[in-house]
Amino acid sequence: MPPSSRIRIPRHTAWVMIWNYAKSRILGQLKSVSFILLYLIGFQVLVLGSTPTHALRIAGGIAMVVMGLTFFLEGLFLGLMPVGERVGVKLPSRCGIVLIMFFGLLLGIGSTFAEPAMASLRVAGSTVTAWRSPLLYAMLNQHSFALVCAVAGGVGIAVTFGMIRFFYGLSIKLFIFILIPLLLLLSGYCAMDSNLQSILGLAWDSGAVTTGAVTVPLILALGIGVSRASGKQEDAAGGFGIIMLASAFPVIAVLLLGMFLNMEMPAPADGAAFFSSENIEKVLPLFENKTAMHQHALRIAGPEAHNWFPNETLTQLDTDIREQLTPISEVLQQEGILALRAVLPLTVLLLLVLWMLRDRLRHMDEVVLGISLAIVGMALLTAGIRTGLAPLGDQVGRPLPRVFRSVPKEEGRVTLHPFDLTEVRTAFSTEGNPEKFFYLKDNEGNPQAVPYNPQQYDAETGSYEYILESKPLFGPELTLAGIGLVFLFAFGLGYGSTLAEPALRALGHTVEEISVGTIRSRNVVLAVSLGVGLGLMAGVARLLYDIPTFWMLLPPYLLLLPLTYFSEEDFAGIAWDSGGVTTGSITVPLVLATGLGIGSELNISDGFGVLAMAPAYAIASVLIFGLTVRSRQKKHMREADLEDEDE
Amino acid sequence: MNDAPPTANDVTRITCAVHPHLGTLVTESLLSLGAHTVLVENARSVRQRVHPRAWGLPGQKVELANSPIELFRTTVPRSSAVQVVETLNQTLELQTPGRGSIYAQDISEYSQLNPPVIKEITSGETTAFRDYTLINGILSKVGGCERLTESALRLGACVPIVTRGFGTGLRDQLGLLRITIPPEKEIVQLMVPSHDASAIQRMLIENARMDRSGGGFLYQTPISFGVVDPLLRIGQQEHAASMEQLIAVIDEMKKGTGWRKRFEAPEDRKRDARFVTHRKYSEITLVCSEGKANDFVLAAMEAGAGGATTERVRCLSASDLEGGVGARERGVICVPTSIRDKVVQVLRDMSQALEDPLCRIQVLQSSSVFFHQR
Repeated sequence: MPPSSRIRIPRHTAWVMIWNYAKSRILGQLKSVSFILLYLIGFQVLVLGSTPTHALRIAGGIAMVVMGLTFFLEGLFLGLMPVGERVGVKLPSRCGIVLIMFFGLLLGIGSTFAEPAMASLRVAGSTVTAWRSPLLYAMLNQHSFALVCAVAGGVGIAVTFGMIRFFYGLSIKLFIFILIPLLLLLSGYCAMDSNLQSILGLAWDSGAVTTGAVTVPLILALGIGVSRASGKQEDAAGGFGIIMLASAFPVIAVLLLGMFLNMEMPAPADGAAFFSSENIEKVLPLFENKTAMHQHALRIAGPEAHNWFPNETLTQLDTDIREQLTPISEVLQQEGILALRAVLPLTVLLLLVLWMLRDRLRHMDEVVLGISLAIVGMALLTAGIRTGLAPLGDQVGRPLPRVFRSVPKEEGRVTLHPFDLTEVRTAFSTEGNPEKFFYLKDNEGNPQAVPYNPQQYDAETGSYEYILESKPLFGPELTLAGIGLVFLFAFGLGYGSTLAEPALRALGHTVEEISVGTIRSRNVVLAVSLGVGLGLMAGVARLLYDIPTFWMLLPPYLLLLPLTYFSEEDFAGIAWDSGGVTTGSITVPLVLATGLGIGSELNISDGFGVLAMAPAYAIASVLIFGLTVRSRQKKHMREADLEDEDE
Repeated sequence: MNDAPPTANDVTRITCAVHPHLGTLVTESLLSLGAHTVLVENARSVRQRVHPRAWGLPGQKVELANSPIELFRTTVPRSSAVQVVETLNQTLELQTPGRGSIYAQDISEYSQLNPPVIKEITSGETTAFRDYTLINGILSKVGGCERLTESALRLGACVPIVTRGFGTGLRDQLGLLRITIPPEKEIVQLMVPSHDASAIQRMLIENARMDRSGGGFLYQTPISFGVVDPLLRIGQQEHAASMEQLIAVIDEMKKGTGWRKRFEAPEDRKRDARFVTHRKYSEITLVCSEGKANDFVLAAMEAGAGGATTERVRCLSASDLEGGVGARERGVICVPTSIRDKVVQVLRDMSQALEDPLCRIQVLQSSSVFFHQR
């Protein structure tokens, strides 16, 4: 645009324009996070009866989430997606399929290494118990780089196959009907091995985690570009389906890596057998050195670990494990670096490709602004999640087992002095077991029977220390109401966090644009959120009842195959892509914290697999939504005899 | 009809709007007839859906129902246009309400490719009617077409066809401030009887509040002949035949739509300053490789054009005639006829400068151009 033709806007008017624009965007994001926010606070205050701690810090974090989402989405639509789409359109005109495939591979690998959610997966792995799940422990610690490489390779191959699909106009259903049975077969095989079954959750979660806030919009836009450039009649539905591939291939890659590593892996056992002298040679390679092994045993098992190593003195651990609050400025700095790492290399790669293709973007200033906004937005969003949303979720998720189980929680100590031992009575259970108790007046002055614990009686002073314990909300054992509440929490957590998920919003926006408004973005987001809510309920059920991951995954995926068969090509692509985007920067930390919290409270080896449930249900939800929409449209058109062509 | 500068090919642009399931049939028919290329664009059609009220409450509810459709455009020699339209009409059974619509517009086209040679299959007679006009509406924001489509359906005009595009023009002259103005536009096409076109346009302006600032603009382009989709209403039907089916039959008997004239002509009414339209305008359509439309539009603006609306389209080709890449942009520029030749020349020069062999420029007379004036 020549400078002479530029319209000069008075400064005041310009500010008014910017303010109105920013206001509408910020209010939109505030609306999208309001559900999960009110839900978490409401649950904590009304159900758990506590108030958020570090409220000011959390409020600041939430403000950062809102601003981060605003900037990041703006950056996606102004910078990242136009660049991705442009590269996609230009590649087929200048390069052959081999070069396009190579570029896809490079982009897939690069995006995984840049994905910040991968880090949260590895952090989550630090809670794994080596003797219960040696293979899982090894993959998340000793072989964590191999794990990331496997995932990256999986995503790379997925993007490559995506390019082939768009270039030749292949149906996504073909990939679904080959990949999903293969995945289920592999998972079924792994479920039969005591070691391999522990990595099922990790593998399926990896598939979900890889498709994050930066990767999804970029490869989606790239796919749409290649699809449009290919000039095939079948491509009316756009470039959907590539996210599905990027979710499925990493699962296969992780399972294959697990099978390979399993060849030299010790079998799971209890601590004593696992660290026994006969087994120690196999066990030692799992750890950096002997000290690391001892520390792991001590950290997980406590003093009992001393018995497992009778001839050795174990190094004492620093028991002060209180979490130190990192200053917000430091969090921002750390997340800023991660955001730069996530956005910059990929966009530079794409811009470089555009330069090599001798193409230029329509509004370079807009793209630069978009990329900058995406980096700032990503940093603010992840820092906000770390300081605001995740701690809030954690404060609700961790004490959640209290809702359905009696969890001793010391609320105070009362010293009864003098304590008369002769007042201790004996009660008998129906089996005839004696139990000692005494009467203590409660706050209202009514006598209450209190169990007597001899260890709390001090004979020297003649005093008894009574520990006040909080009562379970719904009785001492699993109760229907308590479990119902946990399921309700899981549903709301999944539904609310998905509503705010930026990658899903980008997908919804693209769907609405390509369908010229016949499929509304809002409906896609709602369908996916409902699915994720239901998926998390299934994930929590797996933890509560300790159901093997494979048996939780098999039924929904078997149901998905006929649903996909009867769905139309466009909805099949959209639905399976929705499954991939469900688990992004907001859902992953919130759900992993809750899953691991419940898992550790219930002594389940790992809390993985909760996330893996979400995509299956989200896909089913969108497929059903698609079938409903299409059946309504078909019903509308029945008068016009279009049904003949449909069949 | 067109007095465009010399060296243009006099051709006919055929536009066919059908359900996506019929898409393959349209492409195969056109390419087998000998068309070089077919431009495809995703669109939606809007109809009224009548259904009983919920919970068994008395009465009916009427709401708008969107259906996905695809728009297919191709250019053929004028002498073959009737044959192509008739072939598609028969193949797609477009006489049956609800299956879609087709229309032909005589245009002047500048292209490096010669018009295709269409195979002779049928006689040159057509059952399509010749008394239609296309009302084109460009709405400034997404969702803005709801009022327009609703009032078009209420007036019984036709089934509106909606596509999405991007505005280029004033917005691009704001520098980075342009990001505060969404570029997305909605484009509505209405195929209406010519004798009622101006009256319908006037009512649309009033009902859809286009006489207000930022409402968008409307203009008419002539249709040589076409088949309209009369299925305006779907859902609950109380009679053996719907009103649309009866109208279709009478149209067929009367060989035209003139019997339907019901609105008073604008000149019969008192002249209202709010509805003043401009008559001497031309619609210039540009089809180029994706990513190059902006350069063309900027050049056109330098020559006096106010701006353009661009759409992304896919190009399906019978061979590698068009570079083997399907991504195209289609820009529509409305300019006063007085500067039309200058703008066309600038666009042709730009086509050579950008070395875009895929570029084609189509010119068509347009009338009754309406836009809000302060």
